[in-house]
Amino acid sequence: MKIGAEDLDALALGSVFLATGGGGDPYIPQLITQRALEEYGPAQIMAPNDLGDDSFVCAIGSVGAPTVSLELLPSIDEAAGALAAFEEHLGRKVDALAAFEIGGGNSLIPLLAAASRGIPMIDGDGMARALPEAQMMTYAMAGIAPTPSVSYDYRGNVRHFDCPDPLEYEGIIRACAVESGGMITAVEHPMSGAECKAAIIPGTLSFALKLGRLLEQGRGPAGAIAGPLAEIFEGTIYGACRMIFSGKVSAKSSRVVGGYDVGEAVIEPIGAEAFGSEAMTITIKNEYLLARIGDKIAASVPDLIVIVDAETSMPINAERLRYGQRVAVFAIGAPAVFKTPEALAVVGPRYFGFDHDYAPFA
Amino acid sequence: MLRIGIDVGGTHTDAALLDGDVLLASTKAATTADVVTGITNAFDAVLADGKIAASAVQCVMIGTTQFTNAVIERRELAPVAAIRIGLPSGKGLPPFTAWPDDIASAIGGMSFMVAGGYLYDGELLAPLDEAAIDKAVAQIAASPVRNVAIASAFSPLNAAPEESVAAKIRLAIPNARITCSHTIGGLGLLERENAAILNAALLPFASRVVTSFEAALVQRGMTCPLYISQNDGTLMGAEFVRQFPALTFASGPTNSLRGAWKLTGLEDAIVVDIGGTTSDIGVLQSGFPRESYNIIDIGGVRTNFRMPDILAIGVGGGSLVSADGLQIGPQSVGHHLTSEGLVFGGDQRTLTDIAVAAGAFDLGDRARVSDLPAGLVNTARGGMHSMLNNAIDSMRPGGRKLPVILVGGGAGLVTETLDAATQTIIPPNSGTANAIGAAIAQIGGEAEQMLSYQQIPREEALAQVTAEAERAAVAAGGDPASLTVVDVSETPVPYMEEGAMRLRVKTVGALMAREPQGDGA
Repeated sequence: MKIGAEDLDALALGSVFLATGGGGDPYIPQLITQRALEEYGPAQIMAPNDLGDDSFVCAIGSVGAPTVSLELLPSIDEAAGALAAFEEHLGRKVDALAAFEIGGGNSLIPLLAAASRGIPMIDGDGMARALPEAQMMTYAMAGIAPTPSVSYDYRGNVRHFDCPDPLEYEGIIRACAVESGGMITAVEHPMSGAECKAAIIPGTLSFALKLGRLLEQGRGPAGAIAGPLAEIFEGTIYGACRMIFSGKVSAKSSRVVGGYDVGEAVIEPIGAEAFGSEAMTITIKNEYLLARIGDKIAASVPDLIVIVDAETSMPINAERLRYGQRVAVFAIGAPAVFKTPEALAVVGPRYFGFDHDYAPFA
Repeated sequence: MLRIGIDVGGTHTDAALLDGDVLLASTKAATTADVVTGITNAFDAVLADGKIAASAVQCVMIGTTQFTNAVIERRELAPVAAIRIGLPSGKGLPPFTAWPDDIASAIGGMSFMVAGGYLYDGELLAPLDEAAIDKAVAQIAASPVRNVAIASAFSPLNAAPEESVAAKIRLAIPNARITCSHTIGGLGLLERENAAILNAALLPFASRVVTSFEAALVQRGMTCPLYISQNDGTLMGAEFVRQFPALTFASGPTNSLRGAWKLTGLEDAIVVDIGGTTSDIGVLQSGFPRESYNIIDIGGVRTNFRMPDILAIGVGGGSLVSADGLQIGPQSVGHHLTSEGLVFGGDQRTLTDIAVAAGAFDLGDRARVSDLPAGLVNTARGGMHSMLNNAIDSMRPGGRKLPVILVGGGAGLVTETLDAATQTIIPPNSGTANAIGAAIAQIGGEAEQMLSYQQIPREEALAQVTAEAERAAVAAGGDPASLTVVDVSETPVPYMEEGAMRLRVKTVGALMAREPQGDGA
């Protein structure tokens, strides 16, 4: 399988859907990836099972505030530069690249690096969605150390990290992004093909593309696309996909707390809806993390909560959600890997400070 | 103050004559090919109606869609040399990235990327590459291109790199016309740069348009100042428009919203401007248009102009109606209504014909629609009202019901109660709301900065940005004593340290009054 410039609109759309409100606007990452794919040709995509057990793999992506990259534009050679610095540091050539997260612009960074270096990107990622921190990746959960790793800033400055504890590493790399203009590229989680196969969530890249195609073709009311959406999630690593609410955004607030964008959106039912007369409240912490109707939890992280425009079914990022928008809310079951007690300890509602246990929506 | 507001549209040139707050006269005239004649005709009509001498007029305000149309139709655009200051960031994303081919080839050709600019925290992104700039300036000087757009990373926070490059160009190419991006847009380098390039491309045309507006005043012996209305419902001096034509891109819908406010006095309302092809629905908040949160494309080019939040649906006086009455629009006979509509002797079934058949209003020859089946008429009337209702419903702020003001030539199509509204109002003179909106426009100023409340306390930061906004308003002709802050928006920057904020302040005030015998503008 290959992904070329002509696939990017669909891939970006699918990845915004899977970003569950976070991940930033993929417009600029898409522009540079487009340029790279036009210059170097389509990127080779490899299924995790085709990886040689002793091949050498790493994960690559951006760390920082998406808002900053509105001005501090990424460069087309940044991802490849980061990768070269990583290889030099470790004294070894990388055979294939994996994504941090399939949600948002980070689905595109490995593609860009893979195309410019002529090596494959692996069809999979470490989150199956977007989540804010490094220790939330399945690579870390599988016990693969994040370091040795390198960061690469817009000047081409390279920093080396040696910090095997994922939680500490997250703090250090975040501070590094803040000090380097607000956005860096990181290459981390060096792993063998065998380790990658065991840790990666497989198939999410090709799925994001397929999902994006469906959203492009099915552009229309959310009610009409709910059926095809449910079908496309069937038999995947995700659980069921169902529309859990529709209505109109009647309130939205957000503020920065502890380095996160934290807020709440209230969606009120309109007319004679199938979802009762009570409003739904969505709690935001970069991503849509918790959906409640009254005291009842309708969906919670790590299940995916996705808000789409009711008329066009286009997914809406948290920063673009606004008063008066007519929206539909979809919930999708998280992959099984996130549902173990160990995983829930780092991606469950309590980790994010909610006084709730994970309540599977279906 | 005696003033005339003019709206120069594609088909109509409307005018409104006001004395202070009182509307003395209004008119709808045809737009002429030379524009000037249409304006002088409109002047003559309102002055005669209001029994006012041209020399007594103290101010003329013009709203126009000519610059928007020039971009959309790719005409009157001059070639531009674009200089980006931001290397080593952004390599591979040069100016004109992702522009449609037709407009890129109409404007593009010369683009340069040099090192320089700032970071979000005020640190230097890179030292300005003077040698590279000198080389670019020499190349432009040797070419026939005389319009230049300059954009630098984080220039809304620190414009020094843009200003330094502009100074070099002025020195080397005295007849160059320059647009610096920090003067025209907020954060978002590519979008701000695009806006600067479009603006630079329009500069020669802007000069001709403003000259023709001034000629219309001179022909009628008016010596008063001339203002042109911009996107946010405020005014620019004529000289300012010669430099910033792109700031007029959304003045049409803005003027109709402001005119609706003036005609009704309602501070919070939904305004539906029903024309021949579409109904444009916008929201008044504290008497001003609610702005859109989305990225706005102008003729396919991505920009970050702040525009009114407008929902356009295909319901207008010329909208075609299917034989069963179930399908309304989006096809329309547009301004051919008066020849192609049934009541005007044509053979196209339009919403206007349906309204006449239903007795909603009297227009053309009613006998020509007497044979339309009652079922068809009822279905189409119900369908039109429900389309408007649904669209109005989706624009309601905070889920509140608001009064709905109907303006534009097609306002009379609506006769039933709109369920989405607390009340439905068609004010007198609703057909010339645009011109009235232009006549009452105020002077505004805006400023935006990204800063950290941990480094600068919020109150201090607010005062700093407000002062910058007030300087902008006074520079545009505002009376310093009358300025009030109408909008403060604080956008947290995710993932950064706590307190990192994008802070924007907008201030608005009265136009500094001048006597008609003044400096002749």
